[in-house]
Amino acid sequence: MYRYDTIDREMLADRAAEFRSQVGRRLAGDLSEDQFKPLRLMNGLYLQLHAYMLRIAIPYGSMNPIQLRKLAWIARTYDRGYGHFTTRTNLQFHWIKLRDAPDILDELASVDMHAIQTSGNCIRNVTADPYAGATAEEVDDPRVWAEAIRQWSTFHPEFSFLPRKFKIAVTAAPKDRTAARVHDIGLVLKRARDGALGFEVIVGGGMGRTPHIGPTIREFLPVNRLMSYLEAILRVYNRHGRRDNIYKARIKILVAALGVEEFTRQVEAEWLKMDAQAEGGVDLPDTELARIRGAFAPTGFESLPLQSEPLELEKAANPAFARFVRNNLKPHKKPGYGIVEISLKAVGETPGDATADQMDVVADLAERYGQGDIRVTHEQNLVLPHVKLDDVPAVWAGLREAGLATPNINLVSDIIACPGLDYCALANARAIPVAQNIAEKFRDEERAELIGELKIKISGCINACGHHHVGHIGILGVDKKGEEFYQLTLGGSGAEDAALGTILGPALPYDRVADAVDTLVDVYLRERTDGERFLDTFRRTGVAPFKEAVYADAH
Amino acid sequence: MKALTANRLLDGEVVFWKAGQWVERFADAELFSDDEAATAAEAHGKNQPTVVVDVYLIDLIEAEGVWAPISYRERIRALGPTNHLAHGKQAEGGAVIEALQHAHGAARSTGRVNLIKRK
Repeated sequence: MYRYDTIDREMLADRAAEFRSQVGRRLAGDLSEDQFKPLRLMNGLYLQLHAYMLRIAIPYGSMNPIQLRKLAWIARTYDRGYGHFTTRTNLQFHWIKLRDAPDILDELASVDMHAIQTSGNCIRNVTADPYAGATAEEVDDPRVWAEAIRQWSTFHPEFSFLPRKFKIAVTAAPKDRTAARVHDIGLVLKRARDGALGFEVIVGGGMGRTPHIGPTIREFLPVNRLMSYLEAILRVYNRHGRRDNIYKARIKILVAALGVEEFTRQVEAEWLKMDAQAEGGVDLPDTELARIRGAFAPTGFESLPLQSEPLELEKAANPAFARFVRNNLKPHKKPGYGIVEISLKAVGETPGDATADQMDVVADLAERYGQGDIRVTHEQNLVLPHVKLDDVPAVWAGLREAGLATPNINLVSDIIACPGLDYCALANARAIPVAQNIAEKFRDEERAELIGELKIKISGCINACGHHHVGHIGILGVDKKGEEFYQLTLGGSGAEDAALGTILGPALPYDRVADAVDTLVDVYLRERTDGERFLDTFRRTGVAPFKEAVYADAH
Repeated sequence: MKALTANRLLDGEVVFWKAGQWVERFADAELFSDDEAATAAEAHGKNQPTVVVDVYLIDLIEAEGVWAPISYRERIRALGPTNHLAHGKQAEGGAVIEALQHAHGAARSTGRVNLIKRK
């Protein structure tokens, strides 16, 4: 895991002190709200419906037990005993007081955490594959590159006031767990036939009111040229991105307006110009790359047999444990190890929420059994990436006691939901209770397994924080004359087979959504052929049978 | 009928105008049947930038014998999140809270419309 150095720590201390001064000036009336708002947003502090919300950065979703315990302590001390993990792998507290925010930033800085790059028109917290360093699928460790991007982008003077926010994801596996194709920039590490490493560079994806699947503008960028190429992309965006219209300000609009070919030409021209002006120096020197890579070097792996007898015995004796293993334990690159996914989607709970006590439990388990490594997924779950298979029964028991052993990863109740109208000042409709209603409808774990992979994603407004465009079933809350309605889309995917969902039909009232999802699942079970996921069946049949079933009453 | 609402600067708490003061409970809010009086109160509220932010008037509807915000968003602000009934003002309970929980009015929130305009 990457460790901050003296310079990083001084920077965080300075930043916290600066914000303390800004809050003091605001409370004294020396700064107006219009002057103060961008300053607080640069420190992740939003004003929401009931209180301030503080969004804390978890760079590439990676943290250690000390950091997670600090988040738990902040939840107890300054919030209401819980936090909400987000689709950008950050953590939000929803009940923060402005007067406490400077103290919280000090506390965060004491464990190398902060709220920088969690708001504002800058390069936001970089996300990466939550299985990084653990999965055999990857060609390299994407955290190395995500950390390099973090260092390059933090307080980058040229890119601190972009036309709009800017999100980058890095993955190194063919199975995309980062939603790379719906990012402003998605980077997919690949290995060429000659063994060289390079990035597929995807630019101009995004969700929101104008969703786009990002096109690839370069099939293979040598890894040592990453920084200068990113800089060239950002320069073209900074120069031509629309600043006159917030709805047209994201890079996806620029790429679509110029056309992929012309946008790519401009990026390549800018890149060549940088080389000619010897600005290629922005690329990472090998020594610095080696230093960063060293922080992610694998440690502590033992030589173990492929199979674990304690795990197999427990599986045979305990059906609940066997179900957890089937759904939440993923293959590790090292024999005798596994990746444990911790679902934050227990029936009746809020998707992505963890209580302070649960955070402490996860921190303890990570320390005892997981090499002190904790990840956050963009699907609002947690991951212990390095657990000995022999220890999985103990980890499961610890999780179960804390209400964290829900065996539903990638299943129908593993739902992404934004905070929606229960908390968010921008929302049109609630998302959390819709997710809870659906999870309740599918609380039968056997049926959920029978249904198989089904990704439901819910947003409370068109800003799409809940990724509804790329849900196998997407649900968008809309405001119809002040009443909550929900528009369903089918067939979206945020994975390597990325696609935007197709609108099913007229929006449904709140109390009909869970039943409609149940109907959609029934149609899928009726129509599917062997081995087909919901998404596969939808792609084969199209929307018609689903639409007919959901709107049958309307005919 | 209208009420005047805002968020308190210091802690973000939802507050309501009552005779020159800001109070936390919707049940204590001053109700304006007269548009001029409401607008005057709004002007007073907006003149307190170190006390409150996002000052705006909300429309009310009668529900179970009490006045409740028409818009669902404003009822959630006056109550608290529906996924944590122990959080927010609803935790206190009482007749007005219950009436707000059962109210069915529907209209866009002026607060959200203002927010979008400002963006």
